[in-house]
Amino acid sequence: MEMTFDNNIPIYIQVLEYMKIYLISGVFKCGERLPSVREFSTTFKVNPNTMQKALAELESMDLIYTERTNGKYVTQNTELIEKLKDEYATTLAKSYFQGMKRIGLGKADSIKYLEGIDE
Amino acid sequence: MLGKLLKYDLKYMIKNMSVFYILAIVFAIITRILLSVEQTIIATIIKNITTGCMYAMVANIIINTLMRSWVRFRDSIYKDEGYLTNTLPVTKNQIYNSKFIQALIFFIVSFVIVILSIAIAYLNKDRWELLKNYIKGITTGLEISSGLFISGFLGIVFLEMFNALQCGFFGIILGYKQNNNRVALSVLFGFIAYFASQSIVLALVFIVGLFNESVMGLFTNTVLLETGALKILFALSMIIYIIIIWIMSIICKKLLNKGVNLE
Amino acid sequence: MSKDNNNLLEVKNLKKSFDKKEVLKDVSFSIPNGKIIGLLGKNGAGKTTLIKLINDLLTPTSGEILVNGNKIGVESKKVISYLPERTYLNKQMKVTEVLNYFEDFYENFDKEKAEKLLKDLDLDITQKLSKMSKGMQEKVQLVLVMSRKADLYILDEPLGGVDPATRDYILDTILSNFNENASVIISTHLISDIERILDEVIFIDKGKIVLQSDCDQLRKKENGSIDEIFRRMFKC
Repeated sequence: MEMTFDNNIPIYIQVLEYMKIYLISGVFKCGERLPSVREFSTTFKVNPNTMQKALAELESMDLIYTERTNGKYVTQNTELIEKLKDEYATTLAKSYFQGMKRIGLGKADSIKYLEGIDE
Repeated sequence: MLGKLLKYDLKYMIKNMSVFYILAIVFAIITRILLSVEQTIIATIIKNITTGCMYAMVANIIINTLMRSWVRFRDSIYKDEGYLTNTLPVTKNQIYNSKFIQALIFFIVSFVIVILSIAIAYLNKDRWELLKNYIKGITTGLEISSGLFISGFLGIVFLEMFNALQCGFFGIILGYKQNNNRVALSVLFGFIAYFASQSIVLALVFIVGLFNESVMGLFTNTVLLETGALKILFALSMIIYIIIIWIMSIICKKLLNKGVNLE
Repeated sequence: MSKDNNNLLEVKNLKKSFDKKEVLKDVSFSIPNGKIIGLLGKNGAGKTTLIKLINDLLTPTSGEILVNGNKIGVESKKVISYLPERTYLNKQMKVTEVLNYFEDFYENFDKEKAEKLLKDLDLDITQKLSKMSKGMQEKVQLVLVMSRKADLYILDEPLGGVDPATRDYILDTILSNFNENASVIISTHLISDIERILDEVIFIDKGKIVLQSDCDQLRKKENGSIDEIFRRMFKC
């Protein structure tokens, strides 16, 4: 898990984005116990307060929760994660189509291009 | 904490001084052995060399005890090492006391080693008798025993030199309060302090002399001291030196407590 | 003792002049617990002077410095772990001797931790400091400073002239070793290297504090990196 940061954007927002992707992609699975703030901050090489802020944000979105003494866990609610995945996928797809539209390609053509690409 | 500071100050001095101590004694022993064997040309040459070496070491010990104490004082408080010394959780008084005790201990050790080396090299029964008679010659009629005379004399030399050493500390503290020419000013302030303290000793002895004729004899009568004056003089100067050293150490600590300004 | 606030460090109207030259002009700021703070300024802006004043290596011309409500002295020195911008250890000493020295004087020094960190550096701790390169000596000093369980770490130019690998090592060491609830002040003029780990920044210029702000708020407000904002502000 390496994070590279753009110094122009608030760091906690970037950490938050990375964390969301880790949750969607299953790096941290539903119900799994998360590393401590300190562990996170040393692996991501960011300030613990920044990490804390990002985690608090995730918590306010109910994506993670705190068990009083044991630390933080990923939500058990798979639907929430799925919803997040869906939002992300939609955004990515939208931006793809927007890009294609700019060079004059419609939806059908765009899908053809997608199918033509080997993963 | 004073003990811990002292431990490291003493370690430093042991590291830097023990070589001279050992060499002085070794050369003294060789000199003595060569003095006792048959005086062939080679033996005489080697003897002269080792004698020279011994004296060089003795001089080294005296100079180095002073210089090392000063350099250590300056380096650990005012140079790069001062970044550590001055940020330790200790008081300035503890720092000063440690340097003071370290200097005192090494002064005593150096003093003993110097006398010991010379004694090892030269002292035998005949010379001991000669020395005794010589001192007796001086002390006769002065109502002082030879032992007291020697200890009084050495005591004053010791205190006087130790005073010089502390004047060096004083000079460094004042010199390093300035923003420029710190070394030169340290030397200057040190000398001023030394001359001032010497003048005070002399002035105080003189003042006492105003009330005590036998002490006054020191100033008016250039040839011979009056009976009994020497004893008083020894005691008096030693007391004055100890008071001056004590007062000077208080002044140094006061100045040091005002803080340092490191480059 | 002023206990009306809970600030770890409080600097009030601090001034410092050398001869007639005013190096710090009426500096006031405070630092709470649990923050990493960047003290940013160009060379000669007064960063080192300010840090030396906090560490009793300079005497203020006027003003006051309080650490946990105490004036600078034995108590403040117990809780401040300071890394100067130079090598300051007695070079005749071996690393092991320096470790003992720190253990002797600092109750909060964790010798085992220091030994572990030094081992990670592949360092022969029986070696004299004089036998080591300057870079190595600096790493030893950083390890010593970060192995204390202090309330306030003050690191003066820890990244001055080091290669990127060493820079990462230094930042990692700072991040993974500073005490929770403790604060870290890092002075530097190399902002881009360090800004991602900072909570707050203090900009200092010509002996004055010109800005103290939360980093992410500043990025949002000024729309750029701290480095950029600094450059814009001081046109360098």
